[in-house]
Amino acid sequence: MAKRIDGRITVLLEPLMHPLVPVFDLPFRDGYVWSITYVSLYVSLVAVTLSTLVSIPVAVVMAFSQFPGKQFVKSVVNSGMGFPSVVVGLAVLFVVSNQGPLGSMNLVFTREAMIISQFVLATPPITAISLASISGVNGRVRDAAHALGGTRLDVALVVLKEARYGIATAILAGFGRAISEVGSVLIVGGNITSADGISKTRTLTTAIQLEARQGQYETAMILGTILLALVLVINVIVIRFGDQGVSR
Amino acid sequence: MLRAIDLAQSYGDELVFRELSLEVDTGEVVAVIGPSGVGKSTLLRTLALTREPDDGAVTLDGTAAWSVDKSERLPLRRRIGMVFQEASLFDGSVARNVEYGLRVRRSWSDRLRSELHSILSSNGTADAVYDALDVVDLVDKADQQAGSLSGGEAQRVSFARALAYDPDVLLLDEPTSDLDPRNTAVIEDAIDAARNRGIGVVVATHDMHQAERVADRVAVLLGDTVTETGPTERIFEEASDARTRKFISGELVY
Repeated sequence: MAKRIDGRITVLLEPLMHPLVPVFDLPFRDGYVWSITYVSLYVSLVAVTLSTLVSIPVAVVMAFSQFPGKQFVKSVVNSGMGFPSVVVGLAVLFVVSNQGPLGSMNLVFTREAMIISQFVLATPPITAISLASISGVNGRVRDAAHALGGTRLDVALVVLKEARYGIATAILAGFGRAISEVGSVLIVGGNITSADGISKTRTLTTAIQLEARQGQYETAMILGTILLALVLVINVIVIRFGDQGVSR
Repeated sequence: MLRAIDLAQSYGDELVFRELSLEVDTGEVVAVIGPSGVGKSTLLRTLALTREPDDGAVTLDGTAAWSVDKSERLPLRRRIGMVFQEASLFDGSVARNVEYGLRVRRSWSDRLRSELHSILSSNGTADAVYDALDVVDLVDKADQQAGSLSGGEAQRVSFARALAYDPDVLLLDEPTSDLDPRNTAVIEDAIDAARNRGIGVVVATHDMHQAERVADRVAVLLGDTVTETGPTERIFEEASDARTRKFISGELVY
């Protein structure tokens, strides 16, 4: 193995050539990598789960009913997909700060605050993409379910089942936005570790940003690889899950 | 049994039909014939209680469906089966499609239980499902995915799906307009089988030969109302209304 490392390029390529070896050489404290991976996953999964619980009923109601201001809600949701994450982070910081409406809950620089900001970021894409795929289900399927004696709930369930790929895509898009997000979690979470180097509010993304800024490219790349692997694994699981639903 | 009395229906300002009355009894096949676009589908949706008429009443054994509460209308609606012009099957197996009407009629706890049961043992399909598939000659396709069927087979499954929960009335909207002669024959035999079970069948069709083959009575929908109703033979041989005669002889083309 090459021990003599000269120049930036070699430094960058080194972990790719034997990616596991440097982990043991790096100045990690015990549990450092694991703890930031855990915080990333925890915050994103909780936020996306909450978003999904809110988004899908909202999408179903929007697809199935007419109400005044529906078009307005739709455009708010659609433009929400483009919310700049740092601005969301700033807004959430104001809300949870001592003077803000949630100030008494002492949420500044906590995982809960990160969950709130990721929730705000993940909800619009999940709602918008779910709505598009629910609306895209052939109207004749709805008619058939209704004519065969289905109640509104039965019809909604049929439509959700038909739209499940689109909905899975929506959830993945929301998860992708949450876990790869840097700006807002940095602002509301603070990128904090405890004195013994275990992550409190440091995520893979904020850690990568920090390590890269400090010139720790190897560490940054390892963390990046872990992040990519996580996203990949979760995508595979969700798509698999969607596939199994069809067989029955 | 199912009666439509002085129905009127319109889309916005556009009148579809008015003063339309129609009746179907148990074990009777009534064909509604008329040119394309005359409002046969709208009529069937109104009879299926999925569209409220602007005026008039739809009664089932004397109960006016739109005068009762929504909660009382559901059981009425569930005594009616409907087959659309296009099959529109759900994702999933053929058996699961045919089972749909039975499933939504069960309580939620029952549904959950049978759902678990079918996951564990894969042998939870009701006899009524196979019985209905037998009528359309598709028992052997029960476990296939609905998406893999041909258009004709899909339409036959769609028929079985409406038959499986043993409705009192079956409404068929141009059920064979996209089908080849063989699949058409299967559907027409199935209409016969439904009649023999005591089901009242209303079939909307623009195919007059089909009406002649399957129907006991014919209602002719021309312009904005039914111009004539009567036994099939009489309508085709000696309709009393001049426009009906012209339509049947092919002189009146829309």
